[in-house]
Amino acid sequence: MIGTIYNRDKFLNQIASRLNRPRISAPMERTKWKYEPQYEIYKDADQYELLEMLKEHCKKIHTEIFTVDLAGLPEVVNEVVSEYGGGPVVTWKDERFSKWGLDSLMKEKWPSENVDVFEWDYTLWEENVHQAEHANVGITISEITLAESGTVVLFSDKDRGRTVSFLPKTSIILIPKSSLVPRMTQAAVKMREMYQNTGHVSSCINFITGPSNSADIELNLVVGVHGPIKATYIVINDI
Amino acid sequence: MKVTIFATCMVDMFQGNVGKAAVELLERLGCEIEFPESQVCCGQPAYNSGYVKESKEAMKRMIETFSDAEYVVSPSGSCAFMFNEYPHIFAGDPVWEIKAQTLAEKTYELTQFIVEVLKIEDVGASFEGNVTYHTSCHMTRLLGVKEPPMILLQNVKGLKFTELPGKEQCCGFGGTFAVKMAQISEQMVDEKVRHVEETGVDYLVGADAACLMNIGGRMERLGKPVKVLHIAEVLNSH
Amino acid sequence: MAIKIGTEQFTERVDNGIHDDFMRGAVASAQDGMSMKRKAATTEDLGNWEEWRNHGEEIRQHVLKYLDYYLEQLSENVAKLGGHVFFAQTKEEANEYIRSVVQKKKAKKIVKSKSMMTEEISLNPMLEEEGCEVVETDLGEYILQLDEHDPPSHIVAPALHKNREQVRLVFEKKLGYTKSSNPEELAYQARVTLRKKFLAADIGITGCNFAVAETGSFCLVTNEGNADLVTALPKTQITVMGMERLVPTFEEMEVLVSMLTRNAVGQKLTSYITVLTGPKEELDVDGPEEFHLVIVDNGRSNILGGEFQSVLQCIRCAACINVCPVYRHIGGHSYGSIYPGPIGAVLTPLLGGYDEYKELPYASTLCGACTEVCPVKIPLHNLLHKHREVIVEKEGKAPVSEKLLMKAFGLGAASPTLYKIGSKIVPAAMSPFISGDKISKGPGLLKAWTEIRDFPAPNKERLRDWFKNREKGEKS
Repeated sequence: MIGTIYNRDKFLNQIASRLNRPRISAPMERTKWKYEPQYEIYKDADQYELLEMLKEHCKKIHTEIFTVDLAGLPEVVNEVVSEYGGGPVVTWKDERFSKWGLDSLMKEKWPSENVDVFEWDYTLWEENVHQAEHANVGITISEITLAESGTVVLFSDKDRGRTVSFLPKTSIILIPKSSLVPRMTQAAVKMREMYQNTGHVSSCINFITGPSNSADIELNLVVGVHGPIKATYIVINDI
Repeated sequence: MKVTIFATCMVDMFQGNVGKAAVELLERLGCEIEFPESQVCCGQPAYNSGYVKESKEAMKRMIETFSDAEYVVSPSGSCAFMFNEYPHIFAGDPVWEIKAQTLAEKTYELTQFIVEVLKIEDVGASFEGNVTYHTSCHMTRLLGVKEPPMILLQNVKGLKFTELPGKEQCCGFGGTFAVKMAQISEQMVDEKVRHVEETGVDYLVGADAACLMNIGGRMERLGKPVKVLHIAEVLNSH
Repeated sequence: MAIKIGTEQFTERVDNGIHDDFMRGAVASAQDGMSMKRKAATTEDLGNWEEWRNHGEEIRQHVLKYLDYYLEQLSENVAKLGGHVFFAQTKEEANEYIRSVVQKKKAKKIVKSKSMMTEEISLNPMLEEEGCEVVETDLGEYILQLDEHDPPSHIVAPALHKNREQVRLVFEKKLGYTKSSNPEELAYQARVTLRKKFLAADIGITGCNFAVAETGSFCLVTNEGNADLVTALPKTQITVMGMERLVPTFEEMEVLVSMLTRNAVGQKLTSYITVLTGPKEELDVDGPEEFHLVIVDNGRSNILGGEFQSVLQCIRCAACINVCPVYRHIGGHSYGSIYPGPIGAVLTPLLGGYDEYKELPYASTLCGACTEVCPVKIPLHNLLHKHREVIVEKEGKAPVSEKLLMKAFGLGAASPTLYKIGSKIVPAAMSPFISGDKISKGPGLLKAWTEIRDFPAPNKERLRDWFKNREKGEKS
């Protein structure tokens, strides 16, 4: 479906006339910028340094961080969930959970211990949001991870609902170590490449840095306002 | 070296001691001083209030007055900055823009001139006392002179220096702002006075007579014992 | 509430501000704290901060230069994704379009994330008139809304002027809140109340930090995560943007987001930066089914192409507000505009007219602190000066007495002879007011000065006379 555009010509003609030139409509070549300081930052950092940077920054954003090998992943996920008070747990539908050996935890151990687990299922429509709203823990996966700011980047789609990272009380984000990049610069380049290669961008890309917070009352930092109150990152050694 | 003093109307009429100290200091550092009689006001009060037309005549007189000077030196960062603004003000003017540019290029604030042109960092002054320094906005931000006064003060024998808290904050002078927005100006200068008091110093030193007149005038009104000195006076003590 | 807030005159507003001790304490500590955080996140952390500023400036200038082109590209891409785009030249047009969407959707419940643009077009009163319940979901905005629509006093921290006890009282009165004034408990109450609103809302309305022309995307920056819920839960999303708030691609978006968060709150990135592209996809469960973009001019195109164009470079980070020594003492409400501080003093007269706002450009010492910190290098203090020039020379709105005085100044200062005579008679003219070496009660303009401070008595001998006499002495 194509949307409607209202009043465009009059509006843009007014702009062109104020700029004292004819309207520009034909495709323009991409500008060459004179300054581009963003590409220089941490450009030589290796994966080890990026991980250290990420860990360091997590202290400032009220976020716990664990680094594990694949073998240790289920245990750490289980521990964090128990520490957060157990289920209900809601997760994306993502084959990586299984690839990373979490099936026995999510599909056997938790159900047997009466920890409710709900896996996103778009065919159930509204039920998904209902489950997310009542969940204690939401588990998602970072596609790109920014070392500088301690930021995870989530791409939504039919199997990866936006609300899994917002509605539950707490949030666990799994970070493949290979997803680490220096800063948002690299994420922006990657997003642009994806768009240019496929003509498509995920309808919601979320850059999340720790739990939600606000300083709106007397500039006192309150952690946990609308989104999760607590957040944990688990870095998986996949390289 | 020949130096032409741009005294500023404030110093000429109200702060003679500052001008005298600047003249004597430069002479002691080996300069030959000129004081062109035809100098008037740089036009800043009217210009900053929005009266650009009215102030341009004064500016032209100043450009002419200093046309033969080799170096123009002023004991005021703000007024020296005003000369730096002239080329922008006369931008596009076939006659005056280039003349304004020439003037701007040879104009220096006093401490800037001593450190950057004379290349002197120790003027051989000695001054016994606890001192703090007010960094004037126009001098630091707009003229960009930050280090020279600090370097010169550091090398004054006997001087004990304490940094002024909140030194980046304007003292509330702002030319006609001080009278046009008097109620706001009062709050600003009061905070500045509180900061000066916090340092516990005996002397407040600055490089702009107008800011000093503002802070000093308020301290005097409030009966504060801190004395106010222009940096030229401190550097001229020996 | 449009741009204008309050009904008092400028002096009265300033007087109220000056006597509001809590507000002043809050503003001063916010400024001091933010100054440190901003420096740590910009000059110290990035090292080559000046280069970042240059880049920020060139991006914003480029976009303004080709604004029609990028807006066309943006609207094409939004429409391609199924979104509807409405170009509104006035706030009335913007409101009418939004009204029509609300009516078509038969919407009754609306949640909003923080947006200065919707304040500017007075959207909320229109929606309430339509019988909608409109809920602001940014905690600060929510507090203000509950408190009988108290106006914002800061563009990033709108409730900066309120203390926790005032917030507690508002919550008690409006929400039946019974707990303490501890900010965590207050915020928890807001979380619980607002969560229900998010889940029940028919329409979510957002502002726009940056639109991305190449992909038709929108970037929303928050710490609370409220913009995410506003855009994930309701079936219809309306985004309202000022026409200048866009960038060519994700790459420039990234640069400006980095500069925004570091300057606005001293964070490398805020907790939530959300990039939304179109309505949700067919099989997505959450996200809006319908997306409307309203692009608003409301006076901006008149600024374009003129001497104030650079004000449109603004990315609303409030760094200028956080360093302004005047804002520090009078607070946001004194500006009588939803846009306070230096950016407000420049922008408000352009959008709201000189008749209402002629004092604002004078509420500055031209100290340049704002210009020094602006991440996109808007020469704010020069623009304030430019306003004064326009007020005096084009609008003729300066007081007559001042005009006469300045005319006299012009004549006197321009003529060395007049200046010499004038400066010579100063001591005599002032002598009735001099006691000792100072003037404590001056006449005319000096009156306002001497109500607050002493003024030095004129030199008995002008510097020029001292110099001349000395030279004579040396020569003889």
